[in-house]
Amino acid sequence: MTGEHGTADGNGHGMGDERPYGETSPAPEPSYGNAAFPAKGAQGEAVFLPRGAHGDAAFEPKVSYDHGRLEAVLGAALLGAKEDGEAERRAVDAFRVARDTGAHRARTRRRDDWRPRPQRRWGRSWKATLSVLLASLTLGGVAYAAIGAGGHGPAKGAARDEGVRPSVTTSAPAPSPTAPRSSAPAPADRPATAKDTLAHCRAYEKLRGRGRALNSTAYRRLVAAAGGEDNVSAYCAALTELATDAADVKPGKRKGQATAGSNADKNKSKKH
Amino acid sequence: MGQGGEPRRAQAYDGELGAAVARAQEGDEAAFAVAYRLVQPGLLGYLRGLVGDDAEDVASDAWLEIARDLGRFRGDGAGFRGWSATIARHRALDHLRRQKVRPRSSALEQDMLDLPGPHSTHDQALESLSTEYALDLVRALPRDQAEAVLLRVVVGLDGPAAARVLGKRPGAVRTAAYRGLKRLAQLVGAESVTDERPRTLGEST
Repeated sequence: MTGEHGTADGNGHGMGDERPYGETSPAPEPSYGNAAFPAKGAQGEAVFLPRGAHGDAAFEPKVSYDHGRLEAVLGAALLGAKEDGEAERRAVDAFRVARDTGAHRARTRRRDDWRPRPQRRWGRSWKATLSVLLASLTLGGVAYAAIGAGGHGPAKGAARDEGVRPSVTTSAPAPSPTAPRSSAPAPADRPATAKDTLAHCRAYEKLRGRGRALNSTAYRRLVAAAGGEDNVSAYCAALTELATDAADVKPGKRKGQATAGSNADKNKSKKH
Repeated sequence: MGQGGEPRRAQAYDGELGAAVARAQEGDEAAFAVAYRLVQPGLLGYLRGLVGDDAEDVASDAWLEIARDLGRFRGDGAGFRGWSATIARHRALDHLRRQKVRPRSSALEQDMLDLPGPHSTHDQALESLSTEYALDLVRALPRDQAEAVLLRVVVGLDGPAAARVLGKRPGAVRTAAYRGLKRLAQLVGAESVTDERPRTLGEST
């Protein structure tokens, strides 16, 4: 912004800036000091200095500056008001030729598009693109995490090698002893266990008949919980049903309980 | 420059100009003549600042191109002024390259500093600003400042449009215009233009 050298005079008046000399900094908006700046001396001098030596130009009011009158006079003086019918006729001739030869059907280039809002539209579309990208990344991440915790992760991991399986087994150990033994009701009490077991069930259905994976600890537990390999399907079906039932019922129940509770409270308060 | 307010000349004609351009794009040559008359004075003033006495020739070249490419243009009246100024500027720069002449001579400046003469007041100095003198003043400015001032004051472009014509950032153009105007104010002998004179609303931009 300030390619010019600030004079010592100019810099001394730089607002509340910590740096004593603004000339080394790019002096982003040294604005508001200007109004209070006793400009007489600097400007009076500047007229007699060769161009480039007047650093007071570095001061620019951020707000609208008051050159209105000067602009009006300059504009009026500089307007090329000379009437030149000849030049106009040539221009109109050129227009007619272009129109008649079809030159006006040429396609619009970027530099011909002066519609008011193209830039902003571009900006918006960039923002839109970016937010879509971010959203897709987020959702993708969620989906990926869900896959990792759900059926497909362990399935793949189990099929490939045992190394990946800890993700399942780490979450499994605590619930697994309780869940299988207490059979059906247990999952409803402990949603995490239910989910794990359900996940195992889903994985089981996929992996059935593929051998090795079903030898792993988690599935052996599942088999044990079901009470034999033949019963796993039935066990899983019951579990899934239960889980969906629970999901359906719960909200209603809670509401009922909540209202009942509040009613009870009201009754109590009435009694007292 | 951009936010402060549109140059007033711009606002007065933009609606009419936009309508004329639209009709011209549909093939109405009378409408094209109307657009010409609305735009040409500003364009010529700008070109005078760039190429001096050759402005008429350069403007004529520019209008040939404007007439030819009118079908490509998209935008309103303000856009048309920006678009045509861009074309004029390219023609002017071509012209300068061909001539290998700088748009301003440094000899001008020295002469001009002596010129103001015995204007007793700022107002007097402004009122008596002749075209020649105003032109000399502007051409004494560094080129970027002169162009920024001319596009704003004469062509009537707002900040972003002027920046697009010049191929620069709006901030840079705003700065250049401000410095240019400030320098001009000094040269005219109007030290107080910037800060002290309270202005009526109608006068300030």
